[in-house]
Amino acid sequence: MSVFVSAVGFGIASGAVIALASLGFTLQFGLTNTLNIGYGSFITLAAFIGYGFVQLGVNPWVTMLIVALIMAVGSAAYYSGFIRSLVRRSVGFGSLVIATAAALIFIEYTIVLVAGPTTKSYGLTSGTTYHLWDIVWSSQQLAIILLAAALVGAFQMTLRMTRLGRALRATAVNRTLARACGIRVERVSIAAWMISGLLSGVAGVALAMSTQAFTYTLGLTFLIVLIAAAVVGGIGEPLGAVAGGLIIGLVTQISAAYWNPAYSDVAAFALLIAALLLRPTGLFGGQARRSNVAAVA
Amino acid sequence: MNLEYGVAGVLNFGFIAVVAVGAYTYGVLTLPNPAANGNFEKYVFGLHLNPVLAILAAIAVGCVFGGVVGLIGRHRLRPDYQAIMLLVVAAVALAVSEADVGLVNGNPGLSLVANPLGTTGPSGSNGWLYVAIVLGICAVSYFVLRRFSDGPFGRSLRAVRDDPDAALAIGKDVVGLRLVVQVVGGGFGALSGALLVGFIGAWSPSAWQFAETISLLTAVVVGGVASNYGVAAGVMLVPVMLQQLSQYVPGLNTRPQLAADIGWMVTSGCMILFIWFRPAGLIPDRRPRYAPQRRRWRWSYAPQPSLAPVGPETPVADGPAPAVSDPGTWLSKSWAMPSRVPVAAPPTATADPLLEVSGMVVTFGGVRAVDDVALEAKAGEVTGLIGPNGAGKSTLVSAITGFVTPQAGRVVFDGRDISRDSPHRRARVGLVRTFQLARQFPRLTLIENLLVGRQGHPAETALGLTAGLRYWRRAEEENVERAYELLRAFNLHAKANHPASNLSGGERRMLELMRALMTQPKMLVLDEPLAGLSPAWSERFEEAIGWLRSTGIGFLLIEHELGIIERLCETVVVMARGQVLSIGTMKDLRTRPEVQSAYVMG
Repeated sequence: MSVFVSAVGFGIASGAVIALASLGFTLQFGLTNTLNIGYGSFITLAAFIGYGFVQLGVNPWVTMLIVALIMAVGSAAYYSGFIRSLVRRSVGFGSLVIATAAALIFIEYTIVLVAGPTTKSYGLTSGTTYHLWDIVWSSQQLAIILLAAALVGAFQMTLRMTRLGRALRATAVNRTLARACGIRVERVSIAAWMISGLLSGVAGVALAMSTQAFTYTLGLTFLIVLIAAAVVGGIGEPLGAVAGGLIIGLVTQISAAYWNPAYSDVAAFALLIAALLLRPTGLFGGQARRSNVAAVA
Repeated sequence: MNLEYGVAGVLNFGFIAVVAVGAYTYGVLTLPNPAANGNFEKYVFGLHLNPVLAILAAIAVGCVFGGVVGLIGRHRLRPDYQAIMLLVVAAVALAVSEADVGLVNGNPGLSLVANPLGTTGPSGSNGWLYVAIVLGICAVSYFVLRRFSDGPFGRSLRAVRDDPDAALAIGKDVVGLRLVVQVVGGGFGALSGALLVGFIGAWSPSAWQFAETISLLTAVVVGGVASNYGVAAGVMLVPVMLQQLSQYVPGLNTRPQLAADIGWMVTSGCMILFIWFRPAGLIPDRRPRYAPQRRRWRWSYAPQPSLAPVGPETPVADGPAPAVSDPGTWLSKSWAMPSRVPVAAPPTATADPLLEVSGMVVTFGGVRAVDDVALEAKAGEVTGLIGPNGAGKSTLVSAITGFVTPQAGRVVFDGRDISRDSPHRRARVGLVRTFQLARQFPRLTLIENLLVGRQGHPAETALGLTAGLRYWRRAEEENVERAYELLRAFNLHAKANHPASNLSGGERRMLELMRALMTQPKMLVLDEPLAGLSPAWSERFEEAIGWLRSTGIGFLLIEHELGIIERLCETVVVMARGQVLSIGTMKDLRTRPEVQSAYVMG
C-alpha cells in the first residue's frame, strides 16, 4: 500500500508539471486551433534559458519568474510572426502542423549549437523533505505543486471573472461571432499565447528542476506526454488539461512503481491511444466536431 | 560516403514517393515507422533467409503495420486527431523498440546484418551493383505507385485530401481510401527500410527518430507535393544537401555532431521557408487537362421570350450571367442515363415517399437542435424546408445525410433503412447533399471536381488498379463527356481546366450542384443553394431544379427566399426551434397563424 501511496505522491508532483505545460498547449489549440508541435521546444528553451540564469547564480525561483516572462513574450512573437503569417497565406492545416514541427527541430538544434550537446543540470540540492502519510516530497516538489495549483487557480479565476477571461472563452467558442461582438480577437489570441508561453516557461524550469539532468531533447520527449494529458483531459479545455496532467502523472508513476520504470511512458501512451479511440474529445471536451475547417482567421 | 548518400537518396525515393503520395498528399500525417519494423526479423530468428524472401516478408509486414495503424485511427476524421494519433504510434513504436531487448535488442539495435550480395558493408564494386539493383527496384516501384497516384483513383484520393466532408457527400469512402493508402505506404516504407538495412548493415532506433521524419517530409515539401517527379527532386536535394554541407563548411571539427546538427537546422529551416513561400514545392503537381470530346453538341441556346434577362446586362461581380435556354433542350435526355453504365434510372414519381424521416432528435450539449422531427419527401417533387434562423434545418439535413449522429431517429430511403449508414454509403444509394458554404476541391481543376462525382468508376476497383488504363479508358471518356455536357449547360466549360480555387462565388454554388448531379442521385438535399447568388444565377438555378425534377430526381430544398419555394415546391415543411410547425403547400401555410408568428418572432 505504501508503494502505491508514495507513487501517488510522485504522480502528483510530476502531474503538476505536466498539467501546467499541457494547459499552455491546450490554450493554443483551443483558442487558435493550432496544433503547435513547436511547443515542445518552448519547454526546452525555457529549461535552457533557466539553466543560463542558474549558472549565473540567480535563485532558481527568481529564474523561473524571469524565464516565464521571457517565454511569454517569445511565445507571443512566435504566434504573431510565425503562425499568423502562415495562416494568412492559407497554408492549410497539415502544412501548418508540419511547419510547427520544423520549428521544433529548428529551435532545438539552435539550442544545441548555442549550448552544446552535453547534458545539463541545475544541480540543486534536495532540501528538506516533507512527509504526508507515505508520500515523500522534497521542498522543491512541494513548492512546484503549490505553485501549479496557484497558477491554475489564478487562471480559472481569470477565465471566469475578468473581461479578458470572458473574451477568451468567447473567442474559443466562436471566433467570428466574438469578432462581430466587438472583441479584439487578435489581441485576445496574443494574450492567450502570452499566457501559454508563461506557463511553458514555468513548466520548463520546473521540469529541469525536477530531473537530474537534461539535454536538448527534453521538450521533444516531454511533448508526447503533454499531448497525452491534453487529449485525455479534453483538448481545448483548460480544466481538462489540468485533469489530464494529473492523470498522466499518476499513471506514469504508478506504472513505474508496479511494472517497469522503462515502460512508464508507454503506459501513458497506451492511455492516450485508448482515449483517442474511445473518447477523443477527452474528459471535459464537448461533442466532437466533424468539420475540419481550421478556425484561425 | 558519397555512394552511401547517393544510394540512400535513391533508396528513399520509393519510400518518399509513398510518403508524398500516401501520407502528405492524401492528408494523413504518417511517420516512417514501417521501415523500422519490417526488415530484420528474419535475421534475428537465425533463419538466414534468402534476401528476396526477406524483402518480400518485410513488405508484407509493412503493409500489415500500415493497415493496423490506419485501422486504429480510422474514425477520427479530424486531421488534428489523426496527426496526434500517428505521432503517438510512432512514439510508442520507438519506446518499445528502445526498451524491448528480446526481439529488437533495444538501443544498440542489430548489427552485422548481412549484405544480400555477399559482402558486409559498402565496399568496392559490390556497392555499385547494389545501387543498380536498388535503382531497378525503384523503377518498378515507381510504376506500381503511379497506379495509385494517377488516374481516377489518384483523383479521388486528392479529393479526400482537399475536403473529406465533400468527398463523403459524393460517396467516397474516405476511411477506406485512407486505409488503402496506409497499407500501400507501409509496404513501400518497409521495402525501403529493408534495402537500406541490407546496405548499411546495422540498424538501431536512433536512426529512426522524429527528426528523420521531418527530413523526409522536407524532401516532399521542398521537392513537390503530390508530384512524383518533384519528390524525386526533393529527395536528391535534401539528403545531398545535408551531406555536402558538412564537407564544405569549414571549421566543423570542433565537435563531431556539429555537421549533423547544422544539417538539421538547415533542413527544418528549408521546410519552413518552402511552406512560407512556395507550399506546392519546386515541381508542383500538374493536373491533367481534359479536352471536350468531339461529339456533336446536343443542346441549344434558344432563348425563351418569357425567360429573357431582365434589364440591361450590367457586369455582375461573379461573371456574366449565362444565356438562358429552352429547358426542354437543356441537357440531352441521354445525359441522365449514359449508355454502358449500370446505374439505377431516376425513379419515376410514385405514391410512396422516397425519403422518410421519423423521430429525429439531435442534441448538442443541453440544446435540442432537432426535436422529434418527422417528414417525407417524394421522388420527382421538390419538398421545401423553411424556417427562421436557428430552427435546426441544417442540423436536420446533416442528420439525415449522416454527417451528424442523432440521438434518436430513423431514416428510410428508397425502401432501405439507412439510419446507421455512413455518409458516403448514403450518397451511394442516391441521397446526396450540398453544403451551405460551397465546398470544392481547390487543388483539382473544375472538371476534375465533377469527374470525381462518378459513382462506381471501374478505375477505383482493385481490378481497375491492376489492369490499368486500358481497362477503364472507356468509362473515363464517357465520364469526361458527361462532365462537359454539364459544364456547357451551365456555361462554365471555358473554365473546365482551371483550378477550382479560381471560381467566383456564384460559380462555386453551381459547382456544388453540378458535382452532386454527377453522382446521379435519386434525391438531392440542397442547403440554401441560392445564398449569395445574383438574380441571374438564381434564375438559372431555379430552371435547373425544375428541369431536373422532371427527370424524376427528388429534392429537399432549404431556402430563405420564399419566392422560389412558392414556385417550385409541392410540399413545404416549416420548422422553428427544432420542431416541425407545419406541413403543407405554400398557399396553405401562408394562412396559418403559427407559421406567421414563427417568422415574425423568429
